[in-house]
Amino acid sequence: MEPQVLCANGLSFKRGQQTVLEGVDLSLSSGDMLALLGVNGAGKTTLLRCLLGLLNPSEGQVTLEGKALSDWPRHQLARHLAYVPQAHVAPFPFSVREVVALGRLPHQRLLQAETQADAEAVGLALEQLSITALAQRPYTELSGGERQLTLIARALAQGARLLIMDEPVSGLDFGHQIRLLRHLERLAAQGYGILQTTHYPDHALAYANRVAVLHQGRIEADDVPTQVITVERIRRLYQIDVEIVPVSSGRHALIY
Amino acid sequence: MGHWVRLRGWINERLVGRSVGLSLLLLLVLVSTLVALGSGRYAVGFWNTLEFFGTTLGLAQMEADQFELLYSVLIEIRLPRVLAALLLGAALAASGAAFQGVFRNPLVSPNLLGVLSGSAFGAVLGMLLGGGWLVVQLMAFVFGLIAVALALSIAHTFGKGSLIMLVLGGILSSALFAALVSTLKYVADPYNELPVITLWLMGSLASVDLDEILWAAIPMGLTMLLLCLSGRWLDALAMGDDEARTLGVPVTLVRYGVIAGAALLGALTVSLAGMIGWIGLIVPHIARLICGPSQCRVLPVSILLGASFLVWADLLARSLTDSEIPIGIVTELLGIPVFLLVLRRTRKSWES
Repeated sequence: MEPQVLCANGLSFKRGQQTVLEGVDLSLSSGDMLALLGVNGAGKTTLLRCLLGLLNPSEGQVTLEGKALSDWPRHQLARHLAYVPQAHVAPFPFSVREVVALGRLPHQRLLQAETQADAEAVGLALEQLSITALAQRPYTELSGGERQLTLIARALAQGARLLIMDEPVSGLDFGHQIRLLRHLERLAAQGYGILQTTHYPDHALAYANRVAVLHQGRIEADDVPTQVITVERIRRLYQIDVEIVPVSSGRHALIY
Repeated sequence: MGHWVRLRGWINERLVGRSVGLSLLLLLVLVSTLVALGSGRYAVGFWNTLEFFGTTLGLAQMEADQFELLYSVLIEIRLPRVLAALLLGAALAASGAAFQGVFRNPLVSPNLLGVLSGSAFGAVLGMLLGGGWLVVQLMAFVFGLIAVALALSIAHTFGKGSLIMLVLGGILSSALFAALVSTLKYVADPYNELPVITLWLMGSLASVDLDEILWAAIPMGLTMLLLCLSGRWLDALAMGDDEARTLGVPVTLVRYGVIAGAALLGALTVSLAGMIGWIGLIVPHIARLICGPSQCRVLPVSILLGASFLVWADLLARSLTDSEIPIGIVTELLGIPVFLLVLRRTRKSWES
């Protein structure tokens, strides 16, 4: 699998007089399981939308493979970089397979019917997330966790190696949260680059291999989890006192 | 619901997937057309109708006298009207399906952006100014598009073109033109002009002629084809703008292209036959029950179903009573029970 790099350099974004992002540098490479922490209003969503090329930054630029996002044709970009939104409700009861098959759009010409390659990619994506059994179920009748897996499968069907995820575990129950994080961990081990925003420092500590903290529009830390998630930083960001203790298998746990 | 979805999956795989479903629908259109051609004051049996067309194609033999008689009844008298029903039914259903896709809302009808109200106003204004039939049609067409343009500009001025502002813009534009129509009705001469206006607004296929239909068929056919081609993009758009963009869909182009196409279809139908309601709302629902929610299938299936639906509605309109019932009334009366049946099936998936 070819390594790919998404890079934000000196990103600033102003909405009217208000500065939302200022001088943000951030990169995402293959194999990264990057958690982006930040309190509500820190600018996480704006940063994600800039990274996806949905918003144009006021200053600085985002590049993929050294080429500015605005220079990539949209359908080409979609084959490398995928957006996984929070699980939502679709207005029409598409089947899970139909939702995942939308990921093949960037590979299809307008008139072309689904090819063998498309069908295989969709089948593989469903398999990778263990949702093959759901293929014919209506997306609207799934649980939140299953919907989130469907949207990730769609990103894989796109053929994208870099996935940008907006709070993938929010709204899921404990079991679905952990299973989802394990899926993501496995994908990162296969060489996918994953950036997810999260409100859970304990998840970042347990499952990420890199953590970045966005605070008041600036990246104030970007390093391995144990370096970034410290008792002092959690207190400063969230005004909560915690303890961080090493547990077996070299991991750390956050106690609160 | 589960059973239904599984059954539908089966139907798609076994039938639509192999084009058998599509052929069945084409057959429905064909049979509806033949039945409608044969029915009327001078009834021609289904097999006689078939024999007549067989003779035309050189496949059967028919006595010359009878052939001429049938030619004048079937082709000269009834064909324009049946063709009009086919074309307008297809157009209204396609325009409704496209609007529902682009606005991500199954309750949207072609009139959402005010195109029908605008066209109605244009037509009524044309009648009051004493223009000929052509002037009335042109005015209907132009004002239909003006109403949509007004809705779009309201959405852009006040809400950067967001979906909800488009809907609000449509409501305002539609209300404005409905009020203007009422104003015109109020000032119209109650003995000569008002009855004509009122009757026209209820819709009728009685006054269309063959040339008109053939000319209108060109832009309408092309527009319907383009709408069908954008089916996959509309599916992506249903998931949300950001997602569609990251899937490589040119969101703005698709949205405004589809709105323009659907508005064009709506304006043309009103200018040809007045207000014919409900088809654009219910036919896409029936299509979704048959073939699932994917717009790639909903659009062509809606077109075929809409064509058959309006042919039957027109048949009822002209044969239920001695004098003709306006077709807008028939589609509404037929539409309500059909919609209730459809609601029973789809209610569950909306509520979740």
